[in-house]
Amino acid sequence: MKLRWIAALGAVPALHSAYAAVYLSTEQAQRAAFPAATAFVPAEGDAERPALAVWEARDATQRLGWLLVDRVIGRTEEITYALALDAAGTVLSLEVLEYRETHGGEIRLPAWRKQFVGRSAAHPPQFGSDIKNIVGATLSCRHVSDGVAALLQFHARRLASR
Amino acid sequence: MPRRLPSLALAIALALSGTARADEADLRAEVAQLRAELAALRGEVASLRAAQAAPLAAPPAPAASAAVAASSSASAGRTAAAPGAAADVRRVATTSDNATTLTGYGELNYNHPFGDAGASQADLRRAVLGFSHRFDDATRIVAEFEWEHAVTSADDAGEAAVEQLLVEHELHPGLGVRAGLMLVPLGMLNERHEPPTYYGVERNLVETAIIPTTWREGGLALYGNTEGGLTWSAGLTTGFDLSKWDATSGEGREEPLGSIHQELQLAKARDASVFVAGNWQGVPGLLVGGGVFTGKLGQGQDFAGRDARLLLGQVHARWQPGPFDLSALYARGRISGTEALNLTFVGQPSPVPQSFWGGYVQGAWKLWQDGDAAFAPFLRHEWVNTAANYAPVPPGLGAAPAATRRVWTLGANWWLNPAVVFKADLQREPDGDLDRLDLGMGYMF
Repeated sequence: MKLRWIAALGAVPALHSAYAAVYLSTEQAQRAAFPAATAFVPAEGDAERPALAVWEARDATQRLGWLLVDRVIGRTEEITYALALDAAGTVLSLEVLEYRETHGGEIRLPAWRKQFVGRSAAHPPQFGSDIKNIVGATLSCRHVSDGVAALLQFHARRLASR
Repeated sequence: MPRRLPSLALAIALALSGTARADEADLRAEVAQLRAELAALRGEVASLRAAQAAPLAAPPAPAASAAVAASSSASAGRTAAAPGAAADVRRVATTSDNATTLTGYGELNYNHPFGDAGASQADLRRAVLGFSHRFDDATRIVAEFEWEHAVTSADDAGEAAVEQLLVEHELHPGLGVRAGLMLVPLGMLNERHEPPTYYGVERNLVETAIIPTTWREGGLALYGNTEGGLTWSAGLTTGFDLSKWDATSGEGREEPLGSIHQELQLAKARDASVFVAGNWQGVPGLLVGGGVFTGKLGQGQDFAGRDARLLLGQVHARWQPGPFDLSALYARGRISGTEALNLTFVGQPSPVPQSFWGGYVQGAWKLWQDGDAAFAPFLRHEWVNTAANYAPVPPGLGAAPAATRRVWTLGANWWLNPAVVFKADLQREPDGDLDRLDLGMGYMF
């Protein structure tokens, strides 16, 4: 009985694959958020947010919106997320690209991320009131909420006029 | 980038010539132009860095993208041309950044029993320092070291302990394995026991007496989460040692499992235990979970409790609608095969119980919030029975089951920020001794 258990656990390393914790690539996030886009043009980021990468999503004739990829600290590990905004700066979607904390992977759940859809700089997400907490991932939830609010401000300040 | 350099040189030259003319308005205009040039350069550097950190996918329609890229920024073509190289860069960059993190938590408590003011006590309950270190993208070590009661020596009451020491390795996104000294994922407090994360100065009675928080075992576990919102883990670990049971003291009556835990201190390890636990958070604001832990307690030792087995199960739920925070938990333990052992304890006050259980309901209300600071009063009611019954023994030789304890706790948490909390509460036990005021301070990082 015991030997069988140990043998079963011994099979675990066989499951190994690289790129743990990366749930979605930037490319996948771009296509998921803007399936109609024909180009993603890198745009200038923000000196205050060194990790921020910005792409303008376009089709042949017009701007469809923006994809912003940034990082925040969860509790001890970095979370990489992609925020898709329409041309007016309203949230189309939020995707978690990389999540490394042992607890709190639930922030990847569609139901949690959907809470951000429709937010804008005029109506930013507020953690604890209109953005629900995830037990065991309070800091991750708070920091992602704050990060989204900051990116909405960045859009209003810098991207809206471009 | 190269085409920027002549224009930068030109701008500097202009600025210099402007100084020579000493025309202030011109000078300002030129400085402004310089600034604009610098900002553009900075932007290019930033987008290059960003592209390196999170590689740009090659756009789906090369012709269209090339046209747009050419008209906007020189960096687009470059990043799109080498997505593979960029992916390698990311893997290294994220591992070298912040690979080691220092963590910690602590609490200072004051208890004032109303019936016996002389027993009032202030205690540095615990100070914990830990770290996590990432070896690579998929592998890290997590450690926590704890001091209890401020001073630890042969003559002092303090304890020093390793609370966690484990290696985690992600096999796939959403599936990992951990090995080492780990917290058993039963209940809502055991894994998450940092003072700012729970209500009340003292940890609740159920998750102290029935689930022996902070409960850790050495072993191996698989853990993962699903797209549906389920977080789960299952493990093969060390367990309890029933040969440590002391029927002459009241310790087993207070915390049956706490009195026979091993904490990986030269742990008797003949009999492995197993656990399975899960939490579902598929709806934001709602948590439903539970778990089971079972294993033999004799550890192969030659004594009357050699074949005893523990089965501990629990369920819990937490719901946070708006400013409210409601939770409930029920835990029940059963130790089978204690008959022969308890016959050796006849006449002693604390034989090994066959069943023990506890539960609580708790409601909190976030009354006030200002930025990071918040204030929330709460009320909790607990039921605990550490010896609900004993295995049958010949008439006249058995011990009487314990009475169920009922405890009310009314208090409030005041968070200076999410990581620092001040707490106060009143605890009252209608049919028992507990009647006191508690004050506390806690932190985590």
